[in-house]
Amino acid sequence: MTRQLRLFLILLGLALASLAAAGQALAHAALIRTAPADGAVIASAPAEFSLSFSEPVSPLVLSLIGPDGASRALTRFTLGDRTLTIIAPSDLANGTHVLSWRVVSEDGHPVGGSVLFSIGAPSAAPPILTAQTDPAVRFMLWLGKLGLYLGLAFGIGGVAFMAWVAPLPAAARAPIASFLALGLLSMPIAVAAQGLDALALPLSAALQPVAWQAAAASSFGRTALIATFALLAALLALFRPGGRGRLLATFVWLGVGAALAASGHASAAAPQFLTRPAVFMHAVGMAGWAGALLPLAFALRQPDGAQVLRRFSRRIPVLLVIILISGLALAIIQVERLQALLTTPYGLVLTGKLALVVALLGLGAFNRFRLTEAVVSGRASARSQLSRIIAAEIALVVAILAIVALWRFTSPPRALAAAAAQPASVHIHTGKAMADINVTPGRTGPVTISVSLLDGEFGPLAAKELRLALSRPEVGIEPIERQATRQADGSWLVSDLTLPVAGRWTIELEILVSDFEMTRLKETLEIRP
Amino acid sequence: MKLLLGLGLALFAGPALAHVTLETQSAPVGSTYKAVARVPHGCKGAATIKVRVQIPEGVIAIKPMPKAGWTLETVKGKYEKSYDYYGTPTSEGVREVVWSGGKLLDEHYDEFVFRGYLTTDLKPETTLYVPVVQECEGGAVERWIEIPAAGKSADDYKFPAPGLKLIPKK
Repeated sequence: MTRQLRLFLILLGLALASLAAAGQALAHAALIRTAPADGAVIASAPAEFSLSFSEPVSPLVLSLIGPDGASRALTRFTLGDRTLTIIAPSDLANGTHVLSWRVVSEDGHPVGGSVLFSIGAPSAAPPILTAQTDPAVRFMLWLGKLGLYLGLAFGIGGVAFMAWVAPLPAAARAPIASFLALGLLSMPIAVAAQGLDALALPLSAALQPVAWQAAAASSFGRTALIATFALLAALLALFRPGGRGRLLATFVWLGVGAALAASGHASAAAPQFLTRPAVFMHAVGMAGWAGALLPLAFALRQPDGAQVLRRFSRRIPVLLVIILISGLALAIIQVERLQALLTTPYGLVLTGKLALVVALLGLGAFNRFRLTEAVVSGRASARSQLSRIIAAEIALVVAILAIVALWRFTSPPRALAAAAAQPASVHIHTGKAMADINVTPGRTGPVTISVSLLDGEFGPLAAKELRLALSRPEVGIEPIERQATRQADGSWLVSDLTLPVAGRWTIELEILVSDFEMTRLKETLEIRP
Repeated sequence: MKLLLGLGLALFAGPALAHVTLETQSAPVGSTYKAVARVPHGCKGAATIKVRVQIPEGVIAIKPMPKAGWTLETVKGKYEKSYDYYGTPTSEGVREVVWSGGKLLDEHYDEFVFRGYLTTDLKPETTLYVPVVQECEGGAVERWIEIPAAGKSADDYKFPAPGLKLIPKK
């Protein structure tokens, strides 16, 4: 062997040895310590952040996501040994911040993560925002509802007069029929607007089948169906006097209750055994009372008007009691707190409605206790005065219904609280494992995440450990990692977490099935603002 | 500059060095294989005090190499089936090898060695994974146990199990 060759071989050996040595020294960096610590609540804004790693690192991206969700790059930092010290911006707001980091270690393997810390206190959940639909669609919705209500109250309610007071005066038939027609004509408007609102489409999409399908699929679809049948049947009853007509009139009257109890905030509230019958009774009572006004006005022009009036006066208290009791029950369930009457849109609508109802009751009481006797005893001036008051009452009922139709745009305090508390859920199913994940409440702010695990065949999955990693790559939030704790019922819980921004979060589950077996599940879920 | 250097080194050396890996990364089936598990670092800075190796199905006749300063134990059990070991049917043996009681600092490097027979029941042209659990002071654990799903590589995982490419019998 020549000297040159030997030298070459020695050098080659040295080079290989140094490579191997270099290789063995390389390792990926793990985050060992942070200041502030992950999940910490600190009294005042820090002047700097520090991240200590197990190996030397170089930062790739450092960003800070504030309580308002805005992200800013952190560019001022110093590297010392294995600790990265970052100069904090001086204007940090109170609330929860996310320090998101991505670094590369000497092995070229980028690693990332997030440190969650709060200044003062963790960010509270933001106030609830309700989605806004096209104003034209909202007006159309209101108009459709109002038309429907007028049809039910004066149309079907007018027909119901036959059932509980007296045969209809012939002259009242035409106006009652027009109200029934109004109800029927309003139906397509109400249905289309319902669909547009459900899908947040503009008015121009009113003729698209998708809007109609959405409306039909909603609970309002049932209301529309029942109301349409009731309105058509009422038209039949209107022109069929006698026993059969009265029977049909009774049925369509009850149809008003069935139609309105089939949908709406109040019907949907719990407890259902109370709310649905209450809405039903309230609607039936309302239609009976309001619907009687038109026939009464016409009856007063007939010779037997006094007799009809007396019969109405004797029977109306039953309906009023039904209306008031059912209305009171619904108000208590929906409003929950007295001050909500003035502080929430729903409460304000109710307050406005109640004011008009009080006026209506006042007029009614005056009619009953003053004018009815005068009319019965045959004073002509009393008759004309009563007619004028009934006209005013009709105007009041129209105003009440116009206000009630506004309820479509407000959510009762009960529903708002329930909507805010609604969890964001996702179900992951793979051949190896299944997970049901619930983030409660499903909106930004402090949350609790519960996870139920099953194996791929719906059997129990006894995991040893469960780690969650939540990330929002689009806004630069690297995974926020948390260890879940096992609960007595076998589910897993993470409670010390604040989600700072809304949107589609990626959630990754790292399930340690046994010492040597790990399963990962990954899915996204939507966090509301 | 440091980033470039890091990336350059990474391309040269391969990211696999970041993890617990096997020194010899390919071997024919139907042969005896000497497994050298390389432990490059502790758990997030904590010193390693225990190394557990799960013997994959199809690897038999395990003989771990004792290590000065460490207590060597094995866990024996039944195999899923009987394997042929040079004409001897073998249906039970070592399922897990445990080195404990030592102390490997984060800044040090060590290797843990065992020998085993790769039976001909193992499929050539596949990767055999050998899960390793590294336990450290203070209760920290690093589990090198993730087995890549079809279409993924070990690089897609944070804690990939050390792998060994099987080649046809010589």
